[in-house]
Amino acid sequence: MADGGGGVKVVGLTKRFGTVAAVDGIDIDMPSGEFFSMVGPSGCGKTTTLRMIAGFERPDEGQILLDGVDVAHVPPHRRSVNTVFQSYALFPHLTVGENVAFGMRYQKVPKVDIRRRVAEVLALVQLKGYEERRTTQLSGGQQQRVALARAIILNPKVLLLDEPLGALDARLRKDLQVELKTLQQELGITFVYVTHDQEEALTMSDRLAVMNGGKVEQVGTPQEVYDAPETRFVAEFLGVSNVLEGVCDGRGGITVGSFGLIAGAGALRESGTLRAVIRPERVVVEATGTSGPNRLPGMIERVVFVGSTSDIRVRLATGELVRSLVANGGAAAISYEQGTPVSVLLPVEGLRILHS
Amino acid sequence: MSWLRNPWGKPRFLVAVTTLYVVWSVIPVLIAVVFSFNNGRSRSVWQGFSLRWINGDPNTSLFHDPALVRAMEQSFKLAALAMVIATPLGVALAIGLQRWRGRGGTAANVLMLIPLVTPELVMGVGLFLIFTRLFGFIGRGTWAQAIGQVTFSISYVVVIVRGRLASIGKEYEEAAADLGAPPFQVLRRVLMPLLGPAIFSSLIVVFALSIDDFVITQWLSFDQTTETVPVKIYSSARTAPLPSLNALASVMVVVTLASLALAYVVYNRFARNQGEAADIGTIGGGL
Repeated sequence: MADGGGGVKVVGLTKRFGTVAAVDGIDIDMPSGEFFSMVGPSGCGKTTTLRMIAGFERPDEGQILLDGVDVAHVPPHRRSVNTVFQSYALFPHLTVGENVAFGMRYQKVPKVDIRRRVAEVLALVQLKGYEERRTTQLSGGQQQRVALARAIILNPKVLLLDEPLGALDARLRKDLQVELKTLQQELGITFVYVTHDQEEALTMSDRLAVMNGGKVEQVGTPQEVYDAPETRFVAEFLGVSNVLEGVCDGRGGITVGSFGLIAGAGALRESGTLRAVIRPERVVVEATGTSGPNRLPGMIERVVFVGSTSDIRVRLATGELVRSLVANGGAAAISYEQGTPVSVLLPVEGLRILHS
Repeated sequence: MSWLRNPWGKPRFLVAVTTLYVVWSVIPVLIAVVFSFNNGRSRSVWQGFSLRWINGDPNTSLFHDPALVRAMEQSFKLAALAMVIATPLGVALAIGLQRWRGRGGTAANVLMLIPLVTPELVMGVGLFLIFTRLFGFIGRGTWAQAIGQVTFSISYVVVIVRGRLASIGKEYEEAAADLGAPPFQVLRRVLMPLLGPAIFSSLIVVFALSIDDFVITQWLSFDQTTETVPVKIYSSARTAPLPSLNALASVMVVVTLASLALAYVVYNRFARNQGEAADIGTIGGGL
């Protein structure tokens, strides 16, 4: 069904509120049938972008191509995209069934078929037989499902979701994440998903765009963006990263303080003062005095227990703080205690130099 | 005095102030109502209970005095006209001001509030001049009175409806448009039902304003046939008032209370349908 259309492409999209550019000339390609996420902190422009695709905001510049046709100035009721709102926006004066059937009136479908379709779609979102309920009697998760049913009954080419799980508690979120992903695969339509939760974006998306300050920082698959962040912002936003500043020699060597390190990824050809990042789960804490390349001396400053792992914070001799995630339960080679002098290994393949 | 200050107990001070206020505001009304049942011509000395001023006396009782009956008719006629004209206009204006902000919006905003702060006397004089000089073809009388009342009551409707529009937000309208509803359908299927309580509150407020209005109605009345209840009470009070005038006031009190009770019942139904907390206090909307 992925060939049923639904590719969205935004070109040079810009929206200003007063003098502030909420969205600043972004280009994103969201192919048909993909689960595409826009992720970033609040105010990064992700919701404004979504609202422009839906038609609630008019772009100041740029194009919104829906299957190749520019719809930037088409009013929302004439776009074949539908939206699931963060607050659900279920009509409080209508029943669940009436809410779900709301848009069917504009699709010229016979009444009998409407009733059958409503029942089908409600069954799909596991709310079979809820037609006569009032939306105000439903729990948050059920309201979310009604909002979803109301949108997908119209067979949109693209479904826009604005933090649809934002108002739900952690456990329900996890369940619905899986459900949404499954539903997207069954329907085969393009999902454009906005969230500020980096974990949600990483687990659900086929691809994602990390946004900041109205601009796109990086687009890629979750693995690409997580493993190969191109900017410091991306590295830090998608989970904690250790950032070290040093002088690069253009051949992969980086000097941090008086210590020479070798980086295995990123902008290895660039030289000058650059930043290098490494994920905490790649950092290895060893007994002090362990020799070998890419090792720095330091002292454990704090140990934070986080359940399945421990977060060990080591103050390096160069002054930087490096965090290491160590799985709990295994036989620890050394004891992680505050004040213990240690040696920190930053493996070559995990150390990544960022573009200037 | 310690019982007054106990922070864990009931807020007794507030209870005392509230009670005092309620009693104080009800007493004059109560006195007026009581003397409409007086068995005598006095409006200040109690001479026993009787219904003669309501309906008993074939000449001077409320329902047998053509002038008083006419005043009641005129009051209700004007109230009906004001409700029917001011409410739809006010709702349209509120939606326009709140949702389609554009050029002139700010100016209209300020203009809208002018009738609320202008001394009524000034408006009355202004309207008087308009209907006698500028729009002589309308002249003073029922239509001038209705237009005058609409002029100032629209502001209240706008304030109430805009308050509701601000609280329901734009998301329902966006959702409706997103589901394919053209603008007029959004208005009819989503906005109007959601505005139901506010529209109903507006009707009640316009009714109350109209029934109560003296200054503008007085300026724009043509002769005795277009005198409303307040105007009639005022003009009779200077001659030889009878308790039938109290009876007239009592009827107005009853009608107002009845409309409030109706408002409460209807509002509760609205509120239940939309799953909101029902509270008579919110009938006033933004007021």
